[in-house]
Amino acid sequence: MEGDRDRGLLYDSDPPSPPLSPPPPLSLTFFDRERHVTFLEMMYHMLPYHYQSQEINHLTLAYFVISGLDILDALDRISIQNGSHLASTYCALAILKIVGYNLSNMDSESILTSMRSLQQPDGSFMPIHIGAERDLRFLYCAAAICFMLNNWNGMDREKAKEYILNCQSYDGGFGLTPGSESHGGATYCAIASLRLMGFIGDDCLSNASAPSSKANIQSLLDWSLQRQVADGGIQGRPNKPSDTCYAFWIGATMGTLGANKFIDEKALRSFLLTCQSECGGFGKFPQELPDLYHSYYGLAAFSILGEAGLKPLCLELGVTEAAATGL
Amino acid sequence: MASSGEDRRAWVPLGSLPEFADVTPLPQDDGPSPVVAIAYRDEFRETMDYFRSLYSSRELSPRSLLITTLAISFNPANYTVWQFRRQVLEALDADLTDELDFTERVAKGNAKNYQLWHHRRWVAEKLGSDAAYRELEFTRKIFYLDAKNYHAWSHRQWVLQALGGWENELDYCVQLLEEDVLNNSAWNQRYFVVTKSPLLGGLKAVRDSEVDYAIEAINMNPQNESPWRYLRGLYNDENDAWLNDSRVPSACLRVLKAKRNFKFALSTLLDLLCLGFKPNQEIRDAITSLRTPDSGEVGSDSDLAKSICSILGHEDPMRANYWTWRSSKLPQAAEV
Repeated sequence: MEGDRDRGLLYDSDPPSPPLSPPPPLSLTFFDRERHVTFLEMMYHMLPYHYQSQEINHLTLAYFVISGLDILDALDRISIQNGSHLASTYCALAILKIVGYNLSNMDSESILTSMRSLQQPDGSFMPIHIGAERDLRFLYCAAAICFMLNNWNGMDREKAKEYILNCQSYDGGFGLTPGSESHGGATYCAIASLRLMGFIGDDCLSNASAPSSKANIQSLLDWSLQRQVADGGIQGRPNKPSDTCYAFWIGATMGTLGANKFIDEKALRSFLLTCQSECGGFGKFPQELPDLYHSYYGLAAFSILGEAGLKPLCLELGVTEAAATGL
Repeated sequence: MASSGEDRRAWVPLGSLPEFADVTPLPQDDGPSPVVAIAYRDEFRETMDYFRSLYSSRELSPRSLLITTLAISFNPANYTVWQFRRQVLEALDADLTDELDFTERVAKGNAKNYQLWHHRRWVAEKLGSDAAYRELEFTRKIFYLDAKNYHAWSHRQWVLQALGGWENELDYCVQLLEEDVLNNSAWNQRYFVVTKSPLLGGLKAVRDSEVDYAIEAINMNPQNESPWRYLRGLYNDENDAWLNDSRVPSACLRVLKAKRNFKFALSTLLDLLCLGFKPNQEIRDAITSLRTPDSGEVGSDSDLAKSICSILGHEDPMRANYWTWRSSKLPQAAEV
């Protein structure tokens, strides 16, 4: 067991480190785009064997590679040729949008009908019909799917909103399920879902202190901003170490609320650079070997920070703006 | 037979075993041009070929159970394998207490695996409330190694609500917080217990002692965010009661007077002021003494609030833009 480390949410478990001794740490003081492109290109063609324990998230791995290359504006480096799990469906549709496929050509009805039956009485979603855990991650996938298909017949938005609000913890953050500890990844799922479903507008911040039947935005804001810690990085929960991926989970949440300027971007950038790997990609902590999950979210975080040469993101959808609008 | 990369025992090809002699392995179909192809090890590939065969023929037998054990040892994240295993267990009417042993073994290297925890929940649900004690013990063992394991905490909360066992839960939170007062998961669990336990009488009944408990933790470590959030959380949606609990501003004052690690004390006072709190002279003086050159006067309450925002901009510089924004959002003295 790895002591005090936080696992990413939309990724079942970190791949075990491959049995190599790491190269001597290279101190990169700039965002090295070419290294990241090469890293993802390699991953596109062949993933090292230790990803075999991530096998069921194959489509998710494909999404990380393809969307990552899209953010880097390097999709031309690969040629993309063309079961049902909500996360896989989300990734598949995201990939289709990234490569410019017109989703209105798709038979959405069957996806949406199937998805509707995955929603539970309390508003949450199961990812598959045969039984699995249910929590905010799959609610997010469902909302994103409906949004991309531009068809909300796949879910009851009001019930979904209710479930989300029940996931807001006493401290303002959101947990994966009602009662669970507030967590950066869960918080992203909550706010991105509310935004996708149309419950959060652009004027969110100006109404932050207004009492409403919606989420307590003021305490959410305060909680989220305190997640940035002394080393400039962002933690997923109070009193835990900072980790590359939360730069996206919390950064994107703040961006969605219009509050991204409240994050110390300079400090965050410095932290992320220490997580940048000589092989390309990002590790979870400084000097850790890179894995696809943290590499993708590291790139996404650099996009939010406005790194030159990176395409801007549609924060709530998890793809570039260009992919989201289909232009 | 399971390989974790460390295991040096030789793999015995399944094709050479008599019990699988009549099974035709089914290879994976990735289509003509696979992307993100994984460089599978042979043992893994062969195991999954046999799994696919038994799965597609829906064979619910002891050898199917064995193949799921093998497949899980290679890839504990494959939910199809776990689901098939559940079908086999039901068909064989297997002893599920053995299954608890199995999940504990898998948990050893995979304590943060969603499928594992879902499977454990399924087993526990079938065993019913008799399983409660064992589930609480199991999560306790996990917490011994990682006191913040998110999955284990979710499981523990589910156990309490579905199977019971609340009797010692508050004590357990006390113990965990004694070991590490920074353990935010334990604080969250404490909130869960005081709000949801059927044995404590509800939040209002225990709020008084909980406020004292949080303040004690604050006194020891004012830089610890957890007890501050917890304290505020005890009064969620009850602003009148929050405003009227004099222990809160007193606790803030104590921290301010020490002149270190006071950012949460200040933001708590700011929160109170925004709700209409009327601070006494001692508090005003304490804030005045922390003023930086650009903080301005602290005459009126709204000036005081602005002053706090200004001090916070220096004390909590990472969030300087946020404190500036908060200042701009303060109710103006002249506003109706």
